[in-house]
Amino acid sequence: MADPVVIEFDSPERITLAAAHLRSMGYSELEAYTPFPMPDLAEAIGTRRTKLPWLVLLGGATGLSLAYLVIWWTNAFDYRLDVGGRPYDSLPADIPIMFESTVLLAASTAFLSALVLSGLPRLHHPVFELDGFERTTIDRFWITLGAPTETGELLEGEIRFLREELAPFRPIAVRDARRERTSVLR
Amino acid sequence: MTAAALPDMRVLADGSTYAELTDELLGKVLQPPRWMKPALLVTFAGTLVLFAAITYTVVTGIGVWGNNIPVAWAFAITNFVWWIGIGHAGTFISAFLLLLEQRWRTSINRFAEGMTLFAVMQAGLFPLLHMGRPWFFYWLAPYPSTMKVWPQFRSALTWDVVAVSTYFIVSFLFWYLGLVPDLAAMRDRAKERWRRRVYGVFALGWYGSTRSWGRWRIAYGLLGGIATPLVVSVHSIVSSDFATSLLPGWHSAIFPPYFVAGAIFSGFAMVVTLIVPARRLYRLERVITARHLDNMAKMLLVTGWIVTYSYIVETWAAWQSGDEYERYTQLWMRPFGPYAWLCWLVIVCNCVAPQLLWFQRVRTSPVALWVVSIAVQIGMWSERFVLIVTSESRDFLPSSWRMYRPTVVDAALLFGTCSFFLFLFLLFLRFVPFIPISELKELKHDLAKEENHG
Repeated sequence: MADPVVIEFDSPERITLAAAHLRSMGYSELEAYTPFPMPDLAEAIGTRRTKLPWLVLLGGATGLSLAYLVIWWTNAFDYRLDVGGRPYDSLPADIPIMFESTVLLAASTAFLSALVLSGLPRLHHPVFELDGFERTTIDRFWITLGAPTETGELLEGEIRFLREELAPFRPIAVRDARRERTSVLR
Repeated sequence: MTAAALPDMRVLADGSTYAELTDELLGKVLQPPRWMKPALLVTFAGTLVLFAAITYTVVTGIGVWGNNIPVAWAFAITNFVWWIGIGHAGTFISAFLLLLEQRWRTSINRFAEGMTLFAVMQAGLFPLLHMGRPWFFYWLAPYPSTMKVWPQFRSALTWDVVAVSTYFIVSFLFWYLGLVPDLAAMRDRAKERWRRRVYGVFALGWYGSTRSWGRWRIAYGLLGGIATPLVVSVHSIVSSDFATSLLPGWHSAIFPPYFVAGAIFSGFAMVVTLIVPARRLYRLERVITARHLDNMAKMLLVTGWIVTYSYIVETWAAWQSGDEYERYTQLWMRPFGPYAWLCWLVIVCNCVAPQLLWFQRVRTSPVALWVVSIAVQIGMWSERFVLIVTSESRDFLPSSWRMYRPTVVDAALLFGTCSFFLFLFLLFLRFVPFIPISELKELKHDLAKEENHG
């Protein structure tokens, strides 16, 4: 996805309003970059619910069953050891390790999914090449627009049109950023 | 929740911009204070003592410790339980208070999480060394062995291995996930190329798109939810090491909640011990306010009372049990036996000293609060010692009784872990954004929103 148009704000309130306005104008391929999480903005640009919690549930269930399987296999099946006449397959004594293993796999899944579903870890990202992107982790709020036409070409006057439309939200810049990403879009 | 529920964080209310807020907090890391180098050197010297003691122990054997039969656990397990207890406050503050939406936690959570990691690292050393042949530690894992010797999963000691290693990994993931966006800010604010590279690698390529923030937030909340029962489970399992045995003074059903309360008590004390000087030396009064100190002091008071209550129940249950060994241990040997002075030190440090925190002047005075926190540290360490050593040194048969005395190597290990802990903590302050920056900015944004709507 090429993101040729960059719209920059210095206010979290105005970027949210601007994003809602862009959506109502029919721009659907929106992405935003902010220094901190903004659920309002996510709603305004129309993100879907993430499937991450389901993956975490799956991770937890795997941890639970894996722990039981290992304990059962080793202590009750493969090499039975009579300890004071206690049952070989004693579920109550397995609970602590099954719990810990559930937590371990659920937490690792949460951590890895948060990264992998966002395409991380990576050493570089195309958006890093846009001028001034480094301020989006500090105090700038960006919206990037996908190409509005099927050919991926910016319509003539599109930028000018966006500037006029978004003027009430006082963006710092509305610019065509295609040339800034030479090494990526070549 | 209204702004009134938040400590008066001037850094959020004084009209500084997001950039100024970021620069103020990143500046603490980018321009280290002058005392940092000497402090690192001193604690590193102490760390060398630790490694010397470890080397001597491993090369010679644990006969160099004061351990004997019947006092086989002695110093090593005392230190282990003490350190792992300290490691509880970090995740408690981060996860529990996150779920309760206690927003004041934001200034201190990363600090506390770092402390947790380093404390658990110290804790982990002791069981490893206590095994005597630490190079066989992998026998604790169910690896496919031709000898077919599997771990005994019905033993609380095996639970312990799983619980502590899970706790370390999950605490690390929780800490690191929270850290990623701030490392990205560090990468983008650093001037030198090498610094941008290094922080860039550790930031894992974070680009802060709304969608990745959404996933980050949900994962962080889930980790908080998962870590909360984990915190409670770890010390419960550690306490099972004692409670499932038959020794008088150990064989008690109150142990899990009693240990967890003690852990959070000592952990909060350690947070106070570290945060009071750091707040002063780094000029963090605008971020970590008197209200934070006040809140932590109240937590100390509450958990102190839970611990005191546990002591009372323990004694009461021993008396009511009708068991003569239990009665001897709890009612006679601990308070009046050979280690009586330590037992009374525990009462003074853990039950009496925290009562000073009823006074607001003590809660908001950094020096007084710091002194109380040190008393609690000493008290909690002595509590672990009394618990372990008294029960072991005098069990059922007087013919097997034996006194325990630590050696220089024991003392060097305790001193060494304290130094190593501080050394790691200073490295953390030196290189990692130790106040959560993106979370503070989010908080600032939320407060502004509430003011506009309210």
